[in-house]
Amino acid sequence: MKRLTLLLALVLAVAACTSGDDDETTTTAGDAAPTTAADGGTQAPAGSLLAEVQDRGTLRCGTRSDLPGFAVLDDAGEHVGFDSDFCRAIAAAVLGDAAAAEHVDLETADRFTALQSGQVDVLVRNTTWTATRDGSEGATFLQPNFYDGQGMMVAADSGFASTEDMDGVAVCVAKGTTTEGNAAAEASRLGLDWEVLPFDSTDLIQQAFAAGQCDGWSSDMSQLTALRSVYPDGADALVILPEVFSKEPLAPAVRDGDTAWAQVVDWVILATIQAEEFGITQANVDEMRDTTTDLNIQRFLGVEFTTDDGTTVLEPGLGLPTDFAYQVVKQVGNYGEIFERHLTPLGLERGVNSLWQDGGLLYPPPYR
Amino acid sequence: MTSASSTSRPPVWRDVRVLSWAFQLVVFALIALVVMWLVSNYRTNAADIGIPTNFDFLDNPANFSIPGSDFNQSQPVRDAFVIGILNTMRVAALGIVLATVLGVLVGIGRLSRNWVVRRLATVYVEVVRNLPLLVILVFVFLGVVLQVLPRIENPWTPGDVTVFSNRGIGVPWFAGNTGTVLILLGLAAAAGWWGVARWRRSVADRTGHPAHAGTYGALMFTATVVVGWIVLGYEVSTPAVAGRQIVGGMRLQPSYFALLIALVVYTASHIAEIVRGSIQAVPIGQGEAASALALGASQRMWFVVLPQAMRIAIPPLGNQYLNLIKNSSLGAGFAYFELTQIAQITQANGSPAIPAFSLALGFYVVLSLVTSAVVNVANRHFELVVR
Repeated sequence: MKRLTLLLALVLAVAACTSGDDDETTTTAGDAAPTTAADGGTQAPAGSLLAEVQDRGTLRCGTRSDLPGFAVLDDAGEHVGFDSDFCRAIAAAVLGDAAAAEHVDLETADRFTALQSGQVDVLVRNTTWTATRDGSEGATFLQPNFYDGQGMMVAADSGFASTEDMDGVAVCVAKGTTTEGNAAAEASRLGLDWEVLPFDSTDLIQQAFAAGQCDGWSSDMSQLTALRSVYPDGADALVILPEVFSKEPLAPAVRDGDTAWAQVVDWVILATIQAEEFGITQANVDEMRDTTTDLNIQRFLGVEFTTDDGTTVLEPGLGLPTDFAYQVVKQVGNYGEIFERHLTPLGLERGVNSLWQDGGLLYPPPYR
Repeated sequence: MTSASSTSRPPVWRDVRVLSWAFQLVVFALIALVVMWLVSNYRTNAADIGIPTNFDFLDNPANFSIPGSDFNQSQPVRDAFVIGILNTMRVAALGIVLATVLGVLVGIGRLSRNWVVRRLATVYVEVVRNLPLLVILVFVFLGVVLQVLPRIENPWTPGDVTVFSNRGIGVPWFAGNTGTVLILLGLAAAAGWWGVARWRRSVADRTGHPAHAGTYGALMFTATVVVGWIVLGYEVSTPAVAGRQIVGGMRLQPSYFALLIALVVYTASHIAEIVRGSIQAVPIGQGEAASALALGASQRMWFVVLPQAMRIAIPPLGNQYLNLIKNSSLGAGFAYFELTQIAQITQANGSPAIPAFSLALGFYVVLSLVTSAVVNVANRHFELVVR
């Protein structure tokens, strides 16, 4: 018995010593200024997630695999969708290879925990940007890649033409999303009695909805459109009501406290929008790079341009390679191409997700 | 003459008494250090990314509504936790009672001389014991509750006093004063039963006439309840379907119903095996002696075998009750707002994860300890006292 106690004490001592080593170094040193490397690009500040991702060689991107249009698995098991393409864009920019993105499937309820604990480097999972999530979830949100709103979907034969007709009904929502709170708030605003039932996953909601357990299915408009297109009874069995009752800016998120990494991801998203504004597409990016004389496009694509002191390449000091925008457009495409590839087939219009010149909300800051 | 001197103590590093204390202290200190290191590591990392690590989130508004209650989404999170705790206790209490009843019946059924009853009980136990509870719950919810129960547009209303639909099950319930008063009335009636039973038993001791304590007690109970019901002005409210809702009566949510059925069916299969084993552990001579005294089969079981079997069965039964309480957390996947669901939703809405879940864990520990304490009291009541 004495020997057993001695052995136990030794084991505990060893365990206590070794478990100190996989402590993730969260960075406050990430705010240090990047240094210039010999190849013209700047190096990431030591301790930043940017340096860690570059060393590792893969990008861990938090995503999902059950939302048509945004992120689903194709027959080969690859993630295909709007958000998946943005994951690839970040990998193409930071690592030079879009296929270096590792797509990690996350449940809605765990997505912030995965981000906080470092299981994923960036969360591109149609997540709404709210003040509480900025402040209390340890997340920093970046340029929204899709401006959305919350709506309600009902069965076509239910007889509801507007959310104001729905009194004394049950509404199914996904657990752990802004949808729950918004649905309850909308019910009290309209003075109606809604019973909001949260479920873990979309297929559970679909089963409950099809069996008649709830009259309405509330979620982001883009999700409703996507889910309606794959409804087993056909898209015509459902109708999406016209009311939009909240703002849902869907944006990628990174962990708090790492400014360098946040800026990198931000500028990758902005680069896709800027590329569309310049008219650079996947097809013509090579030609643009080789033949353009527009100074703005030269700076954007990392091409040498002449100044009074000779030729130079724009190096803004973000820690990205100077031709990151070229890699993004070449390997993935610009914002419009990504949108048309995945969301236009579902029937989603550009709407507010157009460029500012077309009356939309996409206004990238100048790359200079 | 030499005397063996055995009063000198060995050196400290060889003294068994000192060493055993020292080792225990060292182990305890190591464990405490590991725990303190884990807590401080969590605190530092959480502070680095701006996540609070205290319990202030309990005062934040909840931002979600709870079906089946009047909970308003602007009420604080602590109220939501209270509702979650009450819901867990509701399903656990009824589940324990029903699982015990079903389990005892099936356990006795496995030993029946009737071949059909024995086969049915055996099949039930052998199949259900080997299924994971989550699978049973998914099947009950998706297959039974959603498909078998009719849609709210044409519900099944037997006798016009109950409503069955996959939106909920309505049963008649009391209306009038609050439930607390009714519970007090029930307690008063139970006290009346006990008092009358005692009186009848003392009469039987004195005069030798049969006591009929049960009959008199039940009459007293019924009389108290009826008188109290009328005096306090209670009414019966029956459920009815209005539009797409069930109004009136008490509405059992489909998720509650599914969880209850799954828990009862699963736990009863385990309890049946425990009861069967404990009945078979009672010496066979007891049953034979009872038959020799001209006791019928059910009398033999009820008065001789079962009381002795219960003594053996109570500790494993307590184990099954604790399992049932913990398994009730599976309702979180099916829109039943018990404690785990509330913790998950508040955490997804921005409350810090570790304080929220440690609150839920703490409650499960407390509930389990209370249940096992009650079971231990029953155990001590039944166990053989060795003099």
